[in-house]
Parts: sequence; structure tokens; C-alpha cells
Amino acid sequence: MVDNKTLQNKAREVISRDDVRRLIGWKRGTFGFEAAPAVIKDPSGADDLIFDATCVNNLASFITLEEKPPVPRGEEPDTRKTAIMVKGCDSRAIVLQLVEKAYERDDVIVLGIPCSGVIDRRKAREMFGDVAGAVEATCEGDKLVCEVGGEKKEVDRKELVMDKCLRCRYPNPVISDELLGDEVEKFADDDFSDVAEFAKKSPADKWAFWDEQFSKCVRCYSCRSVCPMCYCVECVVTNLRPQWTRRSTDISENTAYHLQRAWHLSGRCIECNECERVCPVDIPIMTLNRRMTRDVKELFDYEPGVDVETEPLLASFNPQDPEEFIM
Amino acid sequence: MGDFKFAREKMADVLSGLGEYQVLAPLMTGGVVRFREVEESDVPVGERGRYDNTVVPPKELMFPETETLFRYQLGGTDINVSEPEGDTGRVVIGIRPCDAQAFAIVDRVFGWDYPDPYYQKRRENTTLVGLACDEPCSNCFCPSVGGGPASEEYLDAIMYNLDDTFYLKTITKKGEELARVLSGVLQEAGDAEKKAAEKQAEEATSRIVRSIDTDGIPEKLPSLYGHPFWEQFSDRCLGCGICTYLCPTCHCFDIQDEVEHFDGRRARMWDTCMFKEYSLHASGHNPRPTRKERTRNRISHKYSYFPLNFDVIACVGCGRCINYCPVNIDILDVLEKSREAEVKEEKPA
Amino acid sequence: MSEEFEPNIVAFLCNWCSYAGADLAGTSRMHYLPNVKIIRVMCSGRVNPLFLVNALQQGADGVLISGCHPGDCHYLEGNFFARRRFTLMRNLMEHVGVDPGRVNMSWVSASEGAKFQDVVAEVVEKAKEAGPMDQFRRRQLNW
Repeated sequence: MVDNKTLQNKAREVISRDDVRRLIGWKRGTFGFEAAPAVIKDPSGADDLIFDATCVNNLASFITLEEKPPVPRGEEPDTRKTAIMVKGCDSRAIVLQLVEKAYERDDVIVLGIPCSGVIDRRKAREMFGDVAGAVEATCEGDKLVCEVGGEKKEVDRKELVMDKCLRCRYPNPVISDELLGDEVEKFADDDFSDVAEFAKKSPADKWAFWDEQFSKCVRCYSCRSVCPMCYCVECVVTNLRPQWTRRSTDISENTAYHLQRAWHLSGRCIECNECERVCPVDIPIMTLNRRMTRDVKELFDYEPGVDVETEPLLASFNPQDPEEFIM
Repeated sequence: MGDFKFAREKMADVLSGLGEYQVLAPLMTGGVVRFREVEESDVPVGERGRYDNTVVPPKELMFPETETLFRYQLGGTDINVSEPEGDTGRVVIGIRPCDAQAFAIVDRVFGWDYPDPYYQKRRENTTLVGLACDEPCSNCFCPSVGGGPASEEYLDAIMYNLDDTFYLKTITKKGEELARVLSGVLQEAGDAEKKAAEKQAEEATSRIVRSIDTDGIPEKLPSLYGHPFWEQFSDRCLGCGICTYLCPTCHCFDIQDEVEHFDGRRARMWDTCMFKEYSLHASGHNPRPTRKERTRNRISHKYSYFPLNFDVIACVGCGRCINYCPVNIDILDVLEKSREAEVKEEKPA
Repeated sequence: MSEEFEPNIVAFLCNWCSYAGADLAGTSRMHYLPNVKIIRVMCSGRVNPLFLVNALQQGADGVLISGCHPGDCHYLEGNFFARRRFTLMRNLMEHVGVDPGRVNMSWVSASEGAKFQDVVAEVVEKAKEAGPMDQFRRRQLNW
């Protein structure tokens, strides 16, 4: 793992460049097991930056999140670059955003960081309870050393990192201008056994499960807002004309919303798990996305966000695509 | 004011003894704790063990996520309009003092220039039986905003979760009425319970680690209106609705008509100032064009506009917005930094 | 139930092949089941999978999307895009527990009136098996 001094020095060097407007990284949060995203605009901000196992946020979202009000008459738009720090999974979002031409390759400077897994705050809460103060956590081999309340605790890495990390195939960024730290080995292959397990349920059980889950949704749209691939300026769920989804929260509209969201991410989900992480009412959103990811892989042999040269899945076709169910 | 107690295993009797009321309590539903109507087999979470608080605040009991205002039928030349039936008497058991305080704050808005009959009717019909906090969460700061883990001020009765008994103290007439209904189950509490409850409240208060000095903040925030200070937070804001939807005092709503064939309803649903559509004008102009203005609005509304209008800070220190913000925008951190931010003279353009 | 359940089927037919096929069935006086409510679209590639979700919300018990045979698309490749989309959408619906028999797709050319008749019969049969769609239909009861 990259040490914070190297990271800060690199950040300082990059943000000092004339052609760089802002740099997006992580800094220590105010409490708990999650770091906070940090957007720095001058070299002094670089001193706050860190990278460790608490850096869960996928920062790629922030490239497209920025709202740019119209430039006043007579002024030139600021076209300087955005520098961004990415983990392996985050880098796939950058690739896919480039594939979809969300911005140009020259608009971003990608500082890749090999990652050995990030902490799942829900697991951490089970393990450590409610923790006051920010936690530091570094990976040392198979162990995670967490500094909780001034006390160092060693935990088996597998027990504390997110599920996505346990099946991570891309711990090293797939795209980067500079790599900070040494590459790490990938942990395991993804066999989609969880998807296969869920598929065994009967249709009635499946619906009973989703009925309960979707009913909880308060439609805060945090799953959409946090998603690096949900960057439409106007989202179909908030459009009033036509209004595909009503605003009322009931099982019908909530289901429609979640189907829309999952559908819009089929063949685009890069499995950073952010949607599921941020959900305040713990809806297992990735269970929807992963089914799509598996099908996309099996049916079309396509994996989103690994190659800048590919075409988006649903904006392309193969005349030999499977069509067993078509009459 | 009466002091009662009942044994832990009598909780089911207490709930069934309230048969004439609709009873709402924190229940485990679909993996999260929310206030729901108690059916016979349900066990309220507060009874089974310790729970800090619900994720979705009990404001949904007075101000539901989606609420029908009236229904209508179209067709022919007549339009029939009907109002939904109101709720009958309700008892909310296990509400935290902070969330009850939130009702007192929201009352001011829904009882202000245009009284809101839907909200007010529910408030009148509802008896609030609190559950004193025995284990505040690490981001709670209720004492800083006029509350406390066992604050009684806004409750009709309060329960203390002692080791094998519940100590129930009635506070208002509504609470006493409730004790009368339950007279078959309740026993008089003695000094032992009162002492234990006091001790629990003291201990809980001492475990609250975070705090904020609110002096001067309502006056300071407006002076930071155009200040770049907001950007250090809004730069990482995602613009989702977690902080507002989970806030017990946030009370904005949208009103929409929903029509199915010839039947329609006008409904209101939660809305949030963190969405850009919230302030979007029909012309396409948006007076809060970026997240900077939206973040500023949320914080300023709670800690400046509301206190300047209603004399009370619209925050109860429940810690939900801090706990669930995906990007660690910590309202206490924002307020601390707002103290440090220097107000510069605006340069004339 | 004394009366047999008659499902509502919403059919999105492309203007150039399937709609003409349905038209041919009609002018040839072939009887196809009246459960089907046809919406003409310019191309099967125009059908947004959200139409499907919305149809099920509004009271459809099954949906049919029909276009030209692969290679015959009036717009050359619209039906290829539609095929990918609905293959995935059908799996997604199946994943949340919606009967896959509610999501149907077919290739019907302008000369295949008889095929259209068969397709409709099969779609109605599947929807009958699946029963009334009550999972996430907009309910007026809880309003």
C-alpha cells in the first residue's frame, strides 16, 4: 500500500501544475470506519490526503457530479484538468465513462492506487460496535490493523473488508497515468455463486424477498446519486413529463424505480458496490446488479469498464446474439 | 404525574392492554427498525434488547412519506371529491426523546400561517410514550440543542429500560389517561426504580461525546452567504436525499396529482432541498444552481433561518445525518468550521 | 372463480413488419385473441424496456414486443438492439420474481399473419398460466 507521505507529495506536485484545476482524493473522516472524499484546489490541501482501508468512496462519481453554471458573458470556461485518485474498482468507472464519452481522456489525470480491500462499515459495526472518532486501518498481509480509539487491533482481513473485495479481480487500476505504490495480487475469481444461489429460489420467494426490500425504500436516490455511472443531467425518475415513475413511495413505484435503475446499469455496472454501501435502509441493491453482470458476461461475453476501446454493450450488437426466448 | 413499573415479560400484556388504541412501536421490518403498527406476534425492538434509534425517523408517523390529501372521480360533468378518513387514537411506544422534540419543532411550521389539518389531527390523536436512551450513539449531541437522553419535555410519558423492569413515568394528561387504561398491568414504582432511572439518565448523558456551542451561529451563518467556506463540504456532496429524508425535523413536501383512469388523488410526499429539482423554476432557471447553494440552504435552514423565525434550532441532535451521509458531511464539523470562517467585505463588482 | 381469467396483453408492434403482419391476419379474417391491445411503434428498437415495467404497473398481465426478423429491419439494425435489451430485461424481471411468461418477444414479418395469430395465442396462454399480475400493479386500494 502506498504510504501517505508519497501520496501527499505526488498530490502536491500534481495540483501545483498550471493545467490542473482540482484533485480528488480521500482524507480522514470525522468519525468511524469511512474516510471522506476530499476535493483540493491548492497545494496546501494535499497535506490532508490519505489512503488506507477506510477509503471506500468511489471518487469517479465526482468527475461527472460537478455542476457547471453558465459562464458569465465575456469569461472563458475553465478547461483545466481534474486529477483523481482511483482504486482498482474505481478505475473501471473511469474507463466506462471514457467509453461513453462522458469526457475526454485528456480532461483527467488518473492516479492509480493498488488496493488490498476496503472496510465494510456494517461488518465493522458488528465487530467493534459504535465507535467514536475516526479509525485508521492499514493492510498488513492478511491482517488489517485498525486503530480504534487509540488502541491497535489486528483483524483477519477477510472478516472486515467488503464482500466485493473478496471477489475482486481488479485490485490494480486498469487505467492510470501514474501508479502509486506497488501492484498487489488479485484475490480470487468471481464465480457468481451468490447469483446462482439466489436464482434457486422460486418466483414467489423471489418476489416475497424483493417486496419486503423495495417496500423499505424511502427514495432518497442515494444509490443513484453515488453511482459513478448514473451521470445523466436529467434522470428519468425525476422527470415530470413524461413521468415514468411517480413520486409516491409504494411498492409499485418503488419497484419501478429499482427496475429502472438496475436496467440502466445492466452492462454498465462496474461493481464498486457504492449503491449498496450508501443505502440507509440496507436494500441489497447489488443483488440486482450482479445478476445483470453475470448475464452480460455469459450471454454476450462482455465485461464493462476494462477496455477503453470497446463499445458500450447496449449501443452495439452481434447478429449472432442469443435469442432462445424469441418466438 | 404518576410513577409506575411493569416487569419485562409483561410487555406483551401492556401492548394488548392498549387494545383500544392503535399501537405503534419500533419493529424489525425487512432488516431495519421502523415504527410500525404492532400486530399480536410482534416484539418491539426496544423490549428485546438495546437499540439506539430507528434509521427512518418517526416523523413518518405524523407526516407520512406519501399521504393522500383527497380523492376525486372524474367523468361526466361532476367531480366528486372525498377526504381520507382520519386516524383514531394512537399510542407511539418507544420513541426517543430527540424525535419527540422534533415534533415540537415541526409543530411550529404546520401550525403557523396555514394550520395543516392532516398533521395536527395526528398530533392530537397521538400519545407519545418515550423510551429514555440508555446507550446514545457516538454522533448524538442532543444536550447541545436543548434535549437530553431522558428529556421529558415533549413526551406524554417516558419509559426507562431498567434491567428486568420498565419504569414508566407519566408526564401529561394524555399519559395519565394511558396509565389509567393500563391500570391492570402497571404497579406503583418505588424509590429504587426512580433512583435507577435517574442514574441511567445521568450515565447516558455522560456518554455523549459530541457537542456544539450554538451561540452566535444563527447570526453568523447568513454572513457567510457567498463565502467559499461552503465549497469544502459541497464539493463532496452527492446531492442525495439521505440527510433530509432521515432528518426528524425536515418537513418539506411536494404535492402531485395521480390519476388512474377516472379515479385520482392528490397526494403529498417528502421532498428535499438537496435535489436540484426542488428549486427548479418552470422557466429552467434554478436559484440554487449547484450543490454549494443546496448544502448552504440545508445547514442554514436548520441553524439560522429557522431559529431566526421561530426562536428554536431545527435540529435535535439525533446524529442521523452524520451517521448515514455517504461522504461524511458532518453537520457539527460544518458548524465548527463556520465559526472559524472569516467574513470578508464583499468587493463591489 | 366462475369466470375464466382473461389477461390483458399489451403488444408493441413495429410499423414495418409485425403491425403489417397483424393487419394481414385481420384482413385475411384470421381470428386472433382479443386480449391483445396493440400499440404501433416505428421499430422494435424504439421500445424502451421501461414501457414494459410501466405496462405491468398500469394493468397489463403480459407484454409482447414484436419486430422484423433479424436482418430485415427497416432501419437495418433496430431489432438487434431490441433483442439485447429485452434478453436482459426479461432476466431482470425473472430475478425479481415476475413470471418470465409475461415478457415476450417475437419476430413477425408482414407476410406472417398466421404466425401472429399463433404468437398471440401463446402469449395469452402464458399470461393465463402466470395469473393476474398483482405484484407491483398500481393499486388504488391503498390510496
